[in-house]
Formats: sequence, C-alpha cells, structure tokens
Amino acid sequence: MPKPILEIQNIHKRFGQQYVLNGIHLDVYEKEVVTIIGSSGSGKTTLLRCLNLLNEPDDGHIYFMGSDLMDPKTDLEALRMHIGMVFQSFNLFNQKTVLDNCTLAPMKLLNLSKEDAVDRAMTFLKKVGMQDFAHQSANRLSGGQKQRVAIARALCMNPTIMLFDEPTSALDPEMVGEVLQVMKNLANEGMTMVIVTHEMAFAKEVSDRVVFMDQGVIAEMGKPEEILVNPKEERTRSFLKRYTTS
Amino acid sequence: MMVFATLPPKDQFFNTIFYLLERYSGFFIRGVLITLLLSVVGTLGGFILSLFLTLLRTSEVDKRRDSWMTASLKKLGRGFATAYITVFRGTPMIVQAMIFYYGISPLRLLWWTPLVAGLFVVTLNTTAYIAEVIRSGINGVDKGQMEAARSLGFSRRQGMFLIVLPQAIKNSLPAIGNEFIVNLKDTAVLSVIGVFDLFRATQSSTSSNFRVVEGFFIAAVIYLILTYITSKVVNKLDHVMESGKENAHA
Repeated sequence: MPKPILEIQNIHKRFGQQYVLNGIHLDVYEKEVVTIIGSSGSGKTTLLRCLNLLNEPDDGHIYFMGSDLMDPKTDLEALRMHIGMVFQSFNLFNQKTVLDNCTLAPMKLLNLSKEDAVDRAMTFLKKVGMQDFAHQSANRLSGGQKQRVAIARALCMNPTIMLFDEPTSALDPEMVGEVLQVMKNLANEGMTMVIVTHEMAFAKEVSDRVVFMDQGVIAEMGKPEEILVNPKEERTRSFLKRYTTS
Repeated sequence: MMVFATLPPKDQFFNTIFYLLERYSGFFIRGVLITLLLSVVGTLGGFILSLFLTLLRTSEVDKRRDSWMTASLKKLGRGFATAYITVFRGTPMIVQAMIFYYGISPLRLLWWTPLVAGLFVVTLNTTAYIAEVIRSGINGVDKGQMEAARSLGFSRRQGMFLIVLPQAIKNSLPAIGNEFIVNLKDTAVLSVIGVFDLFRATQSSTSSNFRVVEGFFIAAVIYLILTYITSKVVNKLDHVMESGKENAHA
C-alpha cells in the first residue's frame, strides 16, 4: 500500500479537566473515504478539527503529506490550503455573494487573477448545482444550498483532502439528500475524504473504511460491512441499535 | 440693516434672543462650524485609530509557534491598548484637555493652538470609546466565520481584517453614530482650553451684555437641532440594517 496522506499518531486532547481524545491512531490513504461515527461526546468532531489544527492536540503527531502539523516550524497556513473543511453550520462568509465566498481565498492566497478565480468558482458551483445562485447573497440561501456552496468554496482551493464535520446535521430532512449526493459524486471522482456523520446508510454506501469512536478512542475500525453490519465490539452494537431503532 | 440696533430691556426674552442672533451671528456660525469640525474629525479620527487599538487587542499569543520576541510584543501591545482604553474612558475629557494643552504648550510649537489641541484630545478620547464599540461588534460575529477563514488557509490577522472586522464594523455603525452625537455635545468642554466652539462662542456673545440665559437658550436650540438631525440619520441607518438582518434569516 502507498504512503498515507494523513498519519495521525497518538493524539491526545483535553478541554480543562475533560479528556476528549485519549490516544488516536489513524492513517488516511489517497482516494480513501473514511467516515467517523459515534455518539455525541465520543470525540469525533474534536478529532476532525484536530486534523487541520482548528483544535490543537495536546500531544501526538499529525503528518500531512510528510510534514508534521504539530511542529511549531511548520507553515500551518500553507498546509491548511490543501485541507478543505466543511462545517456543520456552513460558516459561509456573511454579507458576501456566493461567488465572492468562492473567489476570496483563491485570489488572496493563491494569487489567482479575478477572471481565473471566477472561472474556477463557476466550475465548482456548477459541480454542486449552484451556478445559478452565483450573484446572490449567501445569507439568502436555504441550508442545503449553503452547504453546497460551502463545499464549492473549499474545492476552489484544489484541496488534497476534504474534511466534513457533520455536514447534514443542521439541515432540514428534505435537504439532506442534495448535500449527500454532492459528497457521493466527490467520492466517486476520487477525492480523499474524512467525514463525521450520523447518516449510517450514507456511511455504508460511500465509505472505504468506517471508524467507530467511543470515549475518546477508536473502539473499532474496518470496512463498512464489518462495522455497520457485523460489529465485533459490544459498544458498537449497542450504538448501532440505538440508531436503527430511533 | 440691523433691526435690533440696541440691546432690548431685560424683560424682553425673545427680543433679546433676536438681538443676540443678529449682532453675534458671526460668532454662532463660527461656533457651530468648529463644533461640527471637532465632532467629525474626532469621530472619524477616533474610528481609524480605534482600528489600530483593535489590531493590538485582538492579537493572540500562540504559545507553540510565537518566538519569545513576538509573544512579548503582542503582550506589550495588548497591555498598551487595555491601559489606553482604561485611562481615556476613566477620566473626564475636560481634564484630558487641560493636561494635553498645557502639557505641550511649553514646547512653544507654533501650530499647537487651542483648536489643534481640541481636535487632538477629542480624537484620542473617541478612539477609546469606539475601540470598545468595535470590540463588542467583534464579539457579536459568529466564531465560525474566523474558523472558516482559518480552514481555507488565512492567517488570524487576514481572517480578522478580511472577514470578521468588516462585519463587526457594519454592526457597529449605529453605535459609532451615537459617538458622533456624544461628541457634538461633549466637545463643549473643550472651551476650557480656549477652543472657539459653540459653547465658547455663546460665552463671548454674552460677556459684555450679561444676557447669559438668552444666549445659552440659543446654544441649547442649536445643539438640539444638530443632535436631533444626527440621531434621525443614525436611526435610519439602524433601521436599514435591521431590515437587512431580517432578509438574512428569510
């Protein structure tokens, strides 16, 4: 197997007296789709936010394409440009149009000309089906539309890997499908993705590997059928039972 | 042609007012212009300088990545900004005016006139207040905005100036307008160092005829007109922005 894009070694994180991550090891390979599941409080969102150091781990190492993110000498901003992130609450830039949301970072950080940035933005907006909304204010979109724009905004930086933090949890049920469809297309095109989600059917369909987290550690990890259909661990079973019955 | 060539008797309140207005119109006009100049320069200058204070105050020490030098400079900057705001909000502007005007006068700088000193003091004073306004504006911006900027690869400073601060300033505009109204009224204290603002102009108009009440009645009406118009404009601004917010949630 080739060298992983992302190597997570022994990550620990606590907030005050609360130990959230207690030694996580995980490798993510090129074109792999890894979904992280687990009950709330299991540390899955914190783990994802540690991968681009929005949360800084207290201990451990994260190697992204060979550079240690935890090394103080690493140019964090330069590496973050290659790590796209999509948030639960969209976090589109307020008071800006859809197009400006997508062109700002490529123009300021990659020094693209305005025309090139607009070209690139329109390509990705088309991909997520939002090209007709390019000149609308981001504030006026529905949740599903906002999230699709947020995905396009991240793609405009041509990231090597995409992180998704519960991208459909803040959406009305009828809008979940459109966002998941965009993500499926991305996965099919070979994008490397790490996804925190509660959508078990989606996880089963799209993942190469499923990670079940419990109390700050990876309790079980494997192919979707292994984890979601025939889990070995008792706690995975009881978690999934709660999900299928509710 | 003068209608009121001589000072009306003491019991003729309104005639006295017309007399003062006619006789000292030049003083009142000059006073209003100086008061407006102080308020406009003080508010705009204070706004610009407050951005520098905000820059100092929002810098965060990154324990792992900042060198000893950078961390110390950031702490020094934060300390300066905090001290500045505490001192200028915690002392009366009239006292600040006395200290700066008479403190710098012995240097015998030709350009250090009462008006220049007044513009200087009102600007420094307003800086402290607007810095507080912008701080609460920044606190009002969703933290996710900065996180999104950081996740794309922007530095903290870029995220602040490109994403967070524009939103904070927009939300703060009504409060900054309020600072302008406060300045219209409070610059009256600068007359203590000899600035010929509306207050001083009124004093001068009544110094030889002792019709103090009539004179300051005129001043009160002029101040009221100035603040009333400004508050209408600020309210309008507020209203426009509120309706903008409603659209945002629609």
